[in-house]
Amino acid sequence: MTVRSAIVLAAGEGMRLRPLTRHRPKPMLPAATKPILEHVFDELIGAGIERLTVVVGYGRTAVQSHFGSTYRDVPIEYAIQDKQLGSAHALAAALPTADEPSLVVNGDQLIDASIVRDTIERHDESADGTIGVVAASDVTEYGGVIVDADGTVTELAENPTDERCYRLNAGVYVLEPTTIDIVTSVDSSEGEYSLPDGLSLLLERGETVNAVETEGMWIDATYPWDLLTVAETLFDTGTVESTVASTAQVHESATVREPAIVSPDCVIGPGAVVGPYASIGDNVTVGSNATVENSVLDSDTRIGSNATVLDCVTGRGVEIGPGSAVVGGRSDVRVGTAVHEGQRLGALLADRATDDGGVTYAPGTIVGSAVTIHAGRTVRGSIESDTEVR
Amino acid sequence: MCGIIGYVGSAERDAPDAIDVLLEGLSELEYRGYDSAGVALANGTLDVHKAEGELEALTSSLSTESLRDPAVGIGHTRWSTHGPPTDENAHPHTDAEGRVAVVHNGIIENYQTLRDELAADGVTFESQTDTEVVPHLIARSLESGDGDDGDERYDSADHKRAFRRAIDRLEGSYAIAAVFEGEETVYATRKDSPLVLGIDDSDGGAVATDGSDAVAATDGDGSTGYFLASDVPAFIEYTDRVVYLEDEEFVRLDATGWTVSDSDGVPLEKPVQTVDWDAEDTGKSGYDHYMLKEIHEQPSSLRQCLRGRVNELQGTVTLEELDALVDREFASPVRFVACGTSYHAARYGASLLQRRGTPATATIASEFTTDRVPVADGSLVVGITQSGETADTLRALREAQTAGATTLAVTNTVGSSAARAADHALYIRAGPEIGVAATKTFASQQLSVSLLSAALTDRASHEEVQSLRRVPDQVQTVLDTSNARAIAAELVGAGAFFFIGRGLNYPVALEGALKFKEITYEHAEGFAAGELKHGPLALVTEDTPVFAIVTGDGEVARKTISNIKEVEARDAPVVVVTDGVSDVERYADYVLEIPETDERAAAVLANVQLQLIAYWVAHEMGRSIDKPRNLAKSVTVE
Repeated sequence: MTVRSAIVLAAGEGMRLRPLTRHRPKPMLPAATKPILEHVFDELIGAGIERLTVVVGYGRTAVQSHFGSTYRDVPIEYAIQDKQLGSAHALAAALPTADEPSLVVNGDQLIDASIVRDTIERHDESADGTIGVVAASDVTEYGGVIVDADGTVTELAENPTDERCYRLNAGVYVLEPTTIDIVTSVDSSEGEYSLPDGLSLLLERGETVNAVETEGMWIDATYPWDLLTVAETLFDTGTVESTVASTAQVHESATVREPAIVSPDCVIGPGAVVGPYASIGDNVTVGSNATVENSVLDSDTRIGSNATVLDCVTGRGVEIGPGSAVVGGRSDVRVGTAVHEGQRLGALLADRATDDGGVTYAPGTIVGSAVTIHAGRTVRGSIESDTEVR
Repeated sequence: MCGIIGYVGSAERDAPDAIDVLLEGLSELEYRGYDSAGVALANGTLDVHKAEGELEALTSSLSTESLRDPAVGIGHTRWSTHGPPTDENAHPHTDAEGRVAVVHNGIIENYQTLRDELAADGVTFESQTDTEVVPHLIARSLESGDGDDGDERYDSADHKRAFRRAIDRLEGSYAIAAVFEGEETVYATRKDSPLVLGIDDSDGGAVATDGSDAVAATDGDGSTGYFLASDVPAFIEYTDRVVYLEDEEFVRLDATGWTVSDSDGVPLEKPVQTVDWDAEDTGKSGYDHYMLKEIHEQPSSLRQCLRGRVNELQGTVTLEELDALVDREFASPVRFVACGTSYHAARYGASLLQRRGTPATATIASEFTTDRVPVADGSLVVGITQSGETADTLRALREAQTAGATTLAVTNTVGSSAARAADHALYIRAGPEIGVAATKTFASQQLSVSLLSAALTDRASHEEVQSLRRVPDQVQTVLDTSNARAIAAELVGAGAFFFIGRGLNYPVALEGALKFKEITYEHAEGFAAGELKHGPLALVTEDTPVFAIVTGDGEVARKTISNIKEVEARDAPVVVVTDGVSDVERYADYVLEIPETDERAAAVLANVQLQLIAYWVAHEMGRSIDKPRNLAKSVTVE
């Protein structure tokens, strides 16, 4: 069947991506140089969606100011979820606009148009809902779906650890308006109203939910270092192409090694080397003789002269001083109490972190928002937001 | 100052109903006035509806179902100049017989003479407006028309002639549109008031010029018709193809096309231009008010303002549109003229030039013309106007031009009267601004005059370019971290609010106070900090919060801190806007922080904090933030 409307859930912070999410929600973090949500919109529009309802909440001005009232001529309506109490609760905020069968997708996970198309195609009025699933070797971090031989869903489970054969829930659904009513009426479990619970409720009531297994691309950035693999995948699959914006100023002696994106208003100084796998956001400055490789630099970041930046993720307005070195490589990264072993992350610097120059970053360093690091320091581990390293 | 709209649906079956186009268009024009509104639909007969109050009052008084048929009509949203906002004074106005309906934006200066003359002829006036003379003049011309064949029915030629004759009698400023009984056509003209033609037909806009009734043929599909409006947003939803009308040009729209002719009736070939405004830019995008949306748009509008104009590799500023201007020598001083918020940008611009050693002045445009400020032959006069239609500024620019000055318009509106009247135009590229209180356009004006001062003096530096390129993100930082909402909640209910600053922060103090009074309706005043002790200090009490802007730690900052101590001694709550470089926070009850940068950029950032203060105080007080009482977005009367 045809589905024209999409409800995009973009209200959640994405706590495991802190401190990058201090001023904006996860959907607005950069996948290469564009927000994740912008990729999602592109794929939805590519699959024929003509009307977008976006549920916003945490850091919502970032979403609203970026997209405004339309995206690529498709009107956007915003539904506001004041408290983030789960995906079913978020969907409830969009209830007033759900007057026809709607596609429901997460705004913080990268999908491609084929998942969307397959899910829409599979859906027919005989089913109350249809879920897009993908084959995955490990679903323990995500939602699992058990599908029987005729393609109907028998069970949904979050973070399943048993040995049964789960498909991965791609977070792409087509739901009838009456179905949306039911799934959003689900009771909370541990204070959270989740969409998979809502769908389980539907199954308990004996309603039919179909699943369609698709080959399409599905990527989630769970942790900050995932932004590097996301960008890499987007380059390797040709989803994004190497470009140098016409308004960027690249000095004639600078080198851009593909794949790389240099966004509008950027300045690449004499002798600088950018790429491969460099995603350089709007108005970024790379100083003379600096090197940027396998990194995602968000807008307004400044890299000082002679700095070396490898395997690095920055937020907006970050300043890495002259001669500083993010040496890159793998290490154990500590997030809260959990230690993630052997992750490839040179350093993460959140919005407006600055160093005065000559700073060395041990692999896996996480620098909070608005941190100032004085010249010549060596930093490692996790540095709290709004602090100073003398 | 008012907004007008006209629409003629194309001959196609699925063209939208006139009533929908008119009401949607008027809602986009409400920023031009909103104390009454009305529409006239032409469908053989004339059907006029009007109501006092915001557009909502008109919309709810209409049973739109009964108005479905007509494809032709005009509409008006009013900001009172002659006569209070009442149903009677709302436009459209008609003649006694209801043969013609007229909407008008502007002021008819000789209306009293015309009114007396018509009254002597036995005409009874229904309203106190200047506009009402127009339909009566048209009716009289119709009745006395040459070539009238004695038939009671008037034809198109009669209407055209009568409309022109009536317009001939008018003095003053006007954009006027009229519809007649018995003809599905809109007639319009302008002089010193804006009027834009929008075209949505299927043929790319070719204009035939074969005789007196040159028309653009329409035969394809998907066309909605022809639009007239005071401003582009009124019809941008339907078309981005426009024709800017010049003074004393006449336009006639019907289902088959459009014709523009000069005051003698000679058809003109007019270029069709494409405007790059998205309908996207005109929705509220999930914000409660346009003002808050526009405050949050500043990082991106400032990026637009800078794009392609600064080169950090070379440390240069290039303003392409001013290539012919920047290398010339001008007689001293450079004079800025402007009104309202734009005047504060003008003061900021003059200060920037003075700091670079170039003598410069900033004058309120209406005072500039009243004082007959002597303008040196060969000097440069810069008029700043967001809309490009501000009558006072336009007049000052014209007078300066007559005196032999080169004129430059700094404006947001491509194709506006100021852009066309001045010798040169610098566009601030802020995108459409709907909130009556100017926010993002002021920030873009500040950045534009900053660029202008660098280009005129040919002395930018790497540091200066670097600090300009940082501004968009620093504004984002202010938006991300501001505690203005909490401070605003504490300050609501105070007796009066004062704003002080020195140097480049003085215009920010003035603008902070203006924004505050515009949308909160509370008493707010801005002073040069050094002037406080010369009088205003008498007003300062424990019930009058004082906002002080202190950036850097130089002599200027230290002097302002002394002024803050004077205020503190009177127990006034002190709110400082600061980059935290000096120790001013010790003397403050509340602190609004901005990132550390140079003093030029700091003035842009400090202003954003004061915008947020004004917004949140007004919000707390439940004010009509996007449409403050008695105000209109662009003031096209002197």
